[in-house]
Amino acid sequence: MRTNLFKLTAAAGVLALALTACGSDDGGGETDGALAGEGTGDDCVIDGEVAVGAALSLTGAAASYGESQKNGLELAAEDLNEKEGVTYTLTIEDDQTDPRQAISVFEGFVDDGTSIIIGPTLSNTAFQAQPIAQEGSVPVLAISNTAAGITEQGDYIFRNSLTEAQVIPQTVAKAIETYDLQSVIVMYSNDDAFTESGYEVMASSLEESDVTVADTLTFSKSDTDFRALLTEAKNANPDAIFVSGLIEAAIPLVTQARELGIEVPIIGGNGFNNPQLMADAGEAAEGVVVGAAWNSASDNAENTAFLADYEEKFGSQPDQFAAQAYAALHIIDAAVRSGCSAERDAIKEGLGGISDMPTVLGSISINADRDAEHDAVVQVVEGGSFTVLP
Amino acid sequence: MFTESTFVFIALTAIFAYSFYAVLVAGQLSLGQAGFASLAAFTAASLAPDPGDVGDLPALLIAIVIGMAVGAAAALILGLPTMRLRGVFLAIATLAFAEAVRILIINMEWTGGAQGMSVPKILEPWMAWVVLALVAYWFWRQGPTRYGRALEAIREDELAARAMGIDVGNHRLSAFIAAGAIAGLYGVLWAFYVRLIAPEDFGFAQAIDGLVTAVVGGSTAFVGPLLGSVFLTMVPEVQRAIGIEAGWIRPFLASLLLLLVILFLPGGLASLLPRRAARLVTGSADERAEVESRLSQRVHPTDGQTVVKLQGLGKDYGGVHANRDIDLHITGGEIIGLIGPNGAGKTTLVNMISGMTKPTSGTAEVLGLDPGGVAVHKVAAAGVSRTFQHSKLFARLSALENVMVGGHLVSKPTFLRRMLWLPSARRDERRLAVHAAHCLNRVGLADKEGVKASALSYGDQRRLEIARALASDPSLLILDEPAAGMNHVEADALSDLIGSLAQDGLTILLIEHNVGMVMKTCSRIVVLNFGEVIATGTPEEIANNPAVVEAYLGSSESEDAS
Repeated sequence: MRTNLFKLTAAAGVLALALTACGSDDGGGETDGALAGEGTGDDCVIDGEVAVGAALSLTGAAASYGESQKNGLELAAEDLNEKEGVTYTLTIEDDQTDPRQAISVFEGFVDDGTSIIIGPTLSNTAFQAQPIAQEGSVPVLAISNTAAGITEQGDYIFRNSLTEAQVIPQTVAKAIETYDLQSVIVMYSNDDAFTESGYEVMASSLEESDVTVADTLTFSKSDTDFRALLTEAKNANPDAIFVSGLIEAAIPLVTQARELGIEVPIIGGNGFNNPQLMADAGEAAEGVVVGAAWNSASDNAENTAFLADYEEKFGSQPDQFAAQAYAALHIIDAAVRSGCSAERDAIKEGLGGISDMPTVLGSISINADRDAEHDAVVQVVEGGSFTVLP
Repeated sequence: MFTESTFVFIALTAIFAYSFYAVLVAGQLSLGQAGFASLAAFTAASLAPDPGDVGDLPALLIAIVIGMAVGAAAALILGLPTMRLRGVFLAIATLAFAEAVRILIINMEWTGGAQGMSVPKILEPWMAWVVLALVAYWFWRQGPTRYGRALEAIREDELAARAMGIDVGNHRLSAFIAAGAIAGLYGVLWAFYVRLIAPEDFGFAQAIDGLVTAVVGGSTAFVGPLLGSVFLTMVPEVQRAIGIEAGWIRPFLASLLLLLVILFLPGGLASLLPRRAARLVTGSADERAEVESRLSQRVHPTDGQTVVKLQGLGKDYGGVHANRDIDLHITGGEIIGLIGPNGAGKTTLVNMISGMTKPTSGTAEVLGLDPGGVAVHKVAAAGVSRTFQHSKLFARLSALENVMVGGHLVSKPTFLRRMLWLPSARRDERRLAVHAAHCLNRVGLADKEGVKASALSYGDQRRLEIARALASDPSLLILDEPAAGMNHVEADALSDLIGSLAQDGLTILLIEHNVGMVMKTCSRIVVLNFGEVIATGTPEEIANNPAVVEAYLGSSESEDAS
């Protein structure tokens, strides 16, 4: 008994020591010299490879978004590495939609000298993992976190994704104006952080307008049958239905609404901005209004090239997550080249100075609060694709 | 590869797994721990003082106290109505509770809904490991105590545990409350480490993770949850370190590994470690005498005093009369043989006497109690002990541990004193061990003390049941076919043992098909047929009773005739 216990304790001790040793070995990272280059902008040459880490949800509940983001980042990395001067090594890690993994991945990136961290996919996870980068003085560029307060976590935290507050009020105003709305129904899934915070912004924008909200209905993000709720909505005879939901809910919801004969406009947020909506809901998606951070139909040069390259490489159309990820790496490249250094603090400086930069998302600036500013877009599905709502 | 959080999450995952272990050792499958953790985390995070005002450690300690209290209280409230449920029904009920908590938290204003609640990060790795060490210590000390063995006995065979005088309901509830408190502890530590708690941190998937960790590690040894946590936390870290591409292949490999562990180590990773078996402590003759006088203090009914009195006792199973109109009076020191053909109702009768079956008519008095009106463990406490027709041993416990559980009623609770390393606990444990060794010795199993009950031969299992029944120092010993599977020599030895027990003052009720042995051993024989007593008398009277000969013993004559 005693010997066994002793052995066990000793083994645990040795294990602990070994693990600590490994942990401290990883610290420090690459030499600083190689990351500072010469020249500026397009002429910048950096000898060392610039390590970019991304913590994305490739498996688990948020895997569908993480997969798009991964595609966007890989495509951007290929583009950028074709350009002379700066080489990026992109390490994409899976957080399994689990805060424990996200925290661990962030710690790994902080310890191994990564210049900048992208991610994580979900806002809740962001609040759990990004402070680690802040404490380690590593810049973070969030590419899909839309909740309020993300960049308030610290001066190393940036984002290129528009918040709900930047997209939704504009969508609500545009929809009210276009369709002359008097009375509406609001539906949202109340067990998801993204859709719930989206709803909050939606509700306050509607409150500020003259529109009456006839009823607010909640569902779960795992629901697939909305007929009962939609019947209730239909009975209220609204001029439109506002929905804050994820794409998984959007497809059956839109389909079932049309089946039940609800012909009024359905207005969604960022969650609806996905080509899957038209692919899976087909005819039913016609007339759905989507407020979004990325105009997929934009004909600016960056976007046209992105759409073509993405289609060629992955055989499908990109969604907003892919576009924001793609834009992120280009923004990072601009930040690196502006000071011609991939040191962490230099990238932080560079990101702060991003102004009117052309990207697939449009002309983007990073403001004093480290949030992105660019035009949001209100789109409507017409003929099986998104077009800008006139 | 190994970052600070890896250490912390090994500790946290292990603590959560211990909350499953706490009930798994008692054979309960609960999935409500995520709900307890969730309630505790949100309550503690909102009620605990700001670490900025009182300091990190005091704030954490206060939060822990709040969290454990909330977890334990929730477990008590949930446990009171659900502890009657078994197996998958308990799992479903507790799962429903956890889901209800999740929905509640999502819809409450103060919890921040789906967007969660932010919590200051004050948990340092060393704090997590200190807490883990305390929890592991708890279960390490709990194992070899009266309480720990009682829980294991309930896991192995609940009915037999009741027959040994263990209050199963109370034990199950206290294990459940312990699970609630530890789940609450986990919830608080989690909250004060990850900075933001959201309802989905305590969802179904997390409950399953906790259960898997405990089972993979091993739910019968206290190091199990820790081993399970190290294993499951390290699998993704190692995969990342050796450069397996992120994506579906990692969870696939992890699941495959899990499958292999469960297939080849059904007892969990802890089964790789040598199991510490309780050692036989025979003690000196003086010590044995001292122990026996201390632990065997029951005053047995003397000759002529009533032990069992049945009047018109009957049991109907929906029109089928298992027993009808049984009148029987057993007095102190008697050895009563109960014989009759298969299906005559012998086992039903002893089940009614030992309180396991309620009679449908008539009255019974056993050692001053009405066995049909009180819980089985109270009948046992009054001095009734029994063996079962089909062995109901605690299969995964050693022979000695089986007998020590049998001594539940005569030993003192040692868990709390063992936690504090009080020497008196060690003394009491030793006394019980000496007593158990004495009982094993009486049935001739002294050399098999370390063998698992399930690994014993059939005859040895019958003997072990007797030793276990003896350990509770009974006044009435009911033996249900003890000689089954024994040869003549063994049956003779058993017969001698029964005689010597009667000389010690025990009253014995013996069901047996070996009629020769019954004739030789018993002072009086009762014959049952079709649920009714057809004859009572001394062995000679029975042997010559024509009704008995026809119903039961007659088989040999008809063979002669043919």
